Amino acid sequence: MARILFNHVYKRYGKEKIPAVKDFNLEIEDKEFIVFVGPSGCGKSTTLRMVAGLEDISEGEIFINNELINDLPPKDRDIAMVFQNYALYPNMSVYENIAFGLRLRKVPKHEIDLGVKRAARVLEIEQFLDRKPRQLSGGQRQRVALGRAIVRNPKVFLMDEPLSNLDAKLRVQMRTEITRLHKQLGVTTIYVTHDQTEAMTMGNRIVVMRDGVIQQVDTPEDIYNYPNNMFVASFIGAPPMNFIEGRVQENGDKLEFHTRRFALEIPEGKANSIREKNLVDKVVVLGIRPENISIDQIVFDAFPNAVFHGIHKSDELMGADRFIFLDIGAENDLVARVNPRYRFDDDERVRLVMDMNKAIFFDRTTQERITD
Amino acid sequence: MAAVTPKARRFNPFRRRSKLFGWDTSQKVITFFLVILGLFMLLPLVYIFNHALKPYSELFIFPPNIFVINPTLSNFTELFVVTRDSTVPASRYLFNSILIAVLATGAVIVVSALAAYPLAKHRFPGSKALFSIIIISLMFVPETMMIPRYVVISSIGIIDTYWGHILPHVAAPVSVFLMKQFMDQVPDELIEAGKIDGAREFGIFIRIVMPICLPAVATSAILQFQNIWGSTETSVLFMTDDAMKTFPFFLQTLTQNLANSVARQGAAAAASLVMFLPTLFIFLVFQRKVIATMAHSGIK
Repeated sequence: MARILFNHVYKRYGKEKIPAVKDFNLEIEDKEFIVFVGPSGCGKSTTLRMVAGLEDISEGEIFINNELINDLPPKDRDIAMVFQNYALYPNMSVYENIAFGLRLRKVPKHEIDLGVKRAARVLEIEQFLDRKPRQLSGGQRQRVALGRAIVRNPKVFLMDEPLSNLDAKLRVQMRTEITRLHKQLGVTTIYVTHDQTEAMTMGNRIVVMRDGVIQQVDTPEDIYNYPNNMFVASFIGAPPMNFIEGRVQENGDKLEFHTRRFALEIPEGKANSIREKNLVDKVVVLGIRPENISIDQIVFDAFPNAVFHGIHKSDELMGADRFIFLDIGAENDLVARVNPRYRFDDDERVRLVMDMNKAIFFDRTTQERITD
Repeated sequence: MAAVTPKARRFNPFRRRSKLFGWDTSQKVITFFLVILGLFMLLPLVYIFNHALKPYSELFIFPPNIFVINPTLSNFTELFVVTRDSTVPASRYLFNSILIAVLATGAVIVVSALAAYPLAKHRFPGSKALFSIIIISLMFVPETMMIPRYVVISSIGIIDTYWGHILPHVAAPVSVFLMKQFMDQVPDELIEAGKIDGAREFGIFIRIVMPICLPAVATSAILQFQNIWGSTETSVLFMTDDAMKTFPFFLQTLTQNLANSVARQGAAAAASLVMFLPTLFIFLVFQRKVIATMAHSGIK
């Protein structure tokens, strides 16, 4: 139904030198669910609002289905938007809230009635149609806001942090519901969030942004496993990826990663990439996710040369997992995710092993990824 | 458990009683004094109702009674029937007043709202300066504006017309200020949602912003109606024809000539009540809206 194309889009506010959005290039496929994620102030909402027509585009072009929409008013873009604070009209009933857009488009009465009832059924808010927004709970209000969006059958859904005002449990529930709705309706959706869990679970693709610049556009798997740089690596994943600084050194025909306390053997493939970039004998950053640090015997057998020790400092039991925080002589504590049946005393010396195939090396100055 | 507690509370009469009577001493003292103060402030209202119904014999009793003994409508007869044959009957003044107050109040609301909306929700060059000018104009004493106003009114030639009554009231900085402050609180998202739903600027104003701002509209309406209804300024300054003057002006002339005379005392008493009733009525109509605050109910 709708493809969206961003072509060198910039957004500048007033006379500020640094643009809020900088050289944004992206192609969103038809029926795709794409998530913009990043810390607050990274320009993700601004970009969304430019698609909506609520912000001017300072430079560049945005196309929906090959139609340039830069100068189209919001109502002619055939989009629907869901806001963080729902933005329901307080003076209108739920029915009127959903019907408002259709009424303004002079849709015949019986069609409005049909559309509103259908949307209400999909979102299970039929029994609230006569109520005013203030009589609804947060979750119900957000459903009404979704209803207002789907009733018009727009080409594109824009969602600006729609779940951040809900409590944790409801958020998980609405998350699945929005995903289900997307599968059912197949409308191209841009979803803005700062919550990396939402990004990972909902998106077909994720756009990670920082300071108005796209850092990486990829599927959730690839973003998680092959982050382009240290920012993406630390932003996606909870607890975030561990970074350890160390020097790469040749040891015979093997390449090793040395910190002050231990040395880890680098697998062949990664070693080659490092050699190609001439980073031997230089300081690099090793990134490793908590779940790839292990105390299981199988991993010790697989990587006998990637064993090291840490001093147990604290831990967090999450139920299914236990996160242990270890002092390895670096600036930050190392986090490892282990089976909760293992318990450690404070200041206990723990023997660990790294799954070196999952380790990622970053350039210390550019923070870019060096290895696969 | 949690679901049961409020229910139990609702059906426990002792708990309600204890809540109602469980005031501490300071609350009791404050309440007592406030009740006394309230009754004291109510006195003029009680007096005005009773006074209008007093026969001549009671009007001059000294010391005066607050409550009427033999209520009669003779004062109203005097006011409207006796003056019927004079050059300008009292009913003409009343008609002028009602017409002007209603039209001018309506105009004030429309103009103020239209002025406040862009000031609150749109950024245009000079908007801040414009708003400052409106604030500054709040500070002028009305007397300072009498002569400039007269010059304007006479040069556009609306002396002795209803326009001359209505137009000076329409410029109401208080209303603009009140509505602007209220509209500031309307979340931008509501307006943006309206835009995306396909509403034009005017549609957003009428169908989204104005309903939310009803409390401000009601407050302005009460204030402006009171002000316009009681004002003699336009009658004194811009009207030379007696038939174009308003009821408060009539009341003023009535009471001015009353200082040492017995005649028309009854009419004056009745006129006072007639002056007061519309204000009371308007207040009763709008006060519920004033209390209703619904600005944030659709948000969060």
